[in-house]
Amino acid sequence: MYTIDELICVCISRQIEDGELVAQGMSTPLVAAGYLLAKLTHAPNLTFISAIGQTFCQEFAPLGLATVENLWLRNGLFTINFITGVCDFLPRYQPKEFFRPGQVDPLGNFNNVFMGGSYAQPRLRLPGSAGIADVTVYEEKVCLYVPRHGRHTFVPQLDFRSGVGHVPERTRGSGPRYLVSDLGQFDFGGENGRLRLTTHHPGTTPQRIQAKTGFPLALAPDLHETKPPTAEELRLLREKIDPLGIRTLETLRGAHRKAKLRQILAAEKGILGRG
Amino acid sequence: MQDKLVDLTAVLPLIRNNQTIALGGMTIYRRPVAFVRALLQRQPRPQNLTLLTFTAGLASDMLVGGGCVSHVRTCYFGLESFGLAPMFTKMVENGRLTIIEESEASIACGLRAAVGQLGFIPSRAWQGTDLFKVRPDVKTIIDPYSGETLTAFPAIQVDVAIIHVLKADRFGNAILGGNPTIDEMLSNVAKTVILTAEAVVDKLEGPVELTGLPVTAVCHQPNGAWPTSCYPAYPLDGEEILRYIDACNAGQFEDYIFER
Repeated sequence: MYTIDELICVCISRQIEDGELVAQGMSTPLVAAGYLLAKLTHAPNLTFISAIGQTFCQEFAPLGLATVENLWLRNGLFTINFITGVCDFLPRYQPKEFFRPGQVDPLGNFNNVFMGGSYAQPRLRLPGSAGIADVTVYEEKVCLYVPRHGRHTFVPQLDFRSGVGHVPERTRGSGPRYLVSDLGQFDFGGENGRLRLTTHHPGTTPQRIQAKTGFPLALAPDLHETKPPTAEELRLLREKIDPLGIRTLETLRGAHRKAKLRQILAAEKGILGRG
Repeated sequence: MQDKLVDLTAVLPLIRNNQTIALGGMTIYRRPVAFVRALLQRQPRPQNLTLLTFTAGLASDMLVGGGCVSHVRTCYFGLESFGLAPMFTKMVENGRLTIIEESEASIACGLRAAVGQLGFIPSRAWQGTDLFKVRPDVKTIIDPYSGETLTAFPAIQVDVAIIHVLKADRFGNAILGGNPTIDEMLSNVAKTVILTAEAVVDKLEGPVELTGLPVTAVCHQPNGAWPTSCYPAYPLDGEEILRYIDACNAGQFEDYIFER
């Protein structure tokens, strides 16, 4: 048995090639766990670059919450700063990166600025575009992930476009190439770069995924079931990479999420106290 | 060199209405929280500040919640894994805060332009996005060599930068302790630079991460970043961040600020 957060981590891990440079944004433990899983399995020569710490890093360390900086600051091989990172290193090295959209449209344009209402007085203000409005313009290796697939996220029309997808005005880069949600995996191989379902996760069906998507989905000709995690992948995730279960924070909501936060902090404090 | 070590209360009057204030650190890491709390306890509080920060988190949410901020310039405002920033989110949804929408590149280029005494820095960022619709002041420019359309990010001027550091000397030379973010750039762009430091020594031998040259004042402020982290001195205090969020959601922001 496995949980959906574990399947998402495994799907992310399988998108990583050995020798790649991968970037990680803030508050994305599913992505961090996926990268580390790739590092411990098929991609030992992975290099990470992180928003937190602005370090290049080639070593493994388990995920932390209060100690989230340890992964990057204790093991950092080389430190830049955010100005150099944004202006020079991201355009030069173009790492693979997974972004979590607030809204995504059929062409892979996405929104992390606001939802509903108007820009001046939104129904929900999101944290903002961070580097999304920058790198999606020119990068080749943009990927997306959606921990809770629903019509509020997969919308026919965005409230605001802060990430650029497969649009005619694009002059560089490729637009997102891959998307994983808690229901399936997708590429943008539909007509004119439309979102296309390539695998459905075990326990769900293409019909159910379509029903939870706010626009018609293209279906890949060889659409099949997602390959479940192996026993070894699960062992690495649970025992080595993320024993505190920080990755689950991205799939939980409300009171469950807050309870999990407190549980993780208490467990982490216990580890710090001992160590 | 001039001895710049002063008490925190001596630097609070440096913050005046209508200024652009920058906070060092990042989201919930190495933020000048003790400074912000002291500023909120000052009477009267500053008004109509423009808050500039790379990623806004706990300290920024406190300044916003305290009613000091009219404009926010940041590429991210939230508490990372701990959720949305409660006071910011509420104020924006009530239409009480003007956001000058930024991204990583618009801030990075804007500060690079300012430090280099230029009007703008060109970039590929934002092309094809809706950011221009909410930032009509940001213009495009044609690359005179290739003909490519680029974004001309305008210089960003800062009146006062407040940066929390791991260790400083009396002259303002400082060690950040990791997570350099944009603090060195802020120190060179701001007209006034205030350092709060976990530890102050007479003289750092170097190499240092911030030069004291542009620094105005150094304040000794142990635990000055708490409950955000100050690596490697202490990790972030997640329980306290949750307590802050609960207090805000219960309408007890002011009680929280005056607790200590």
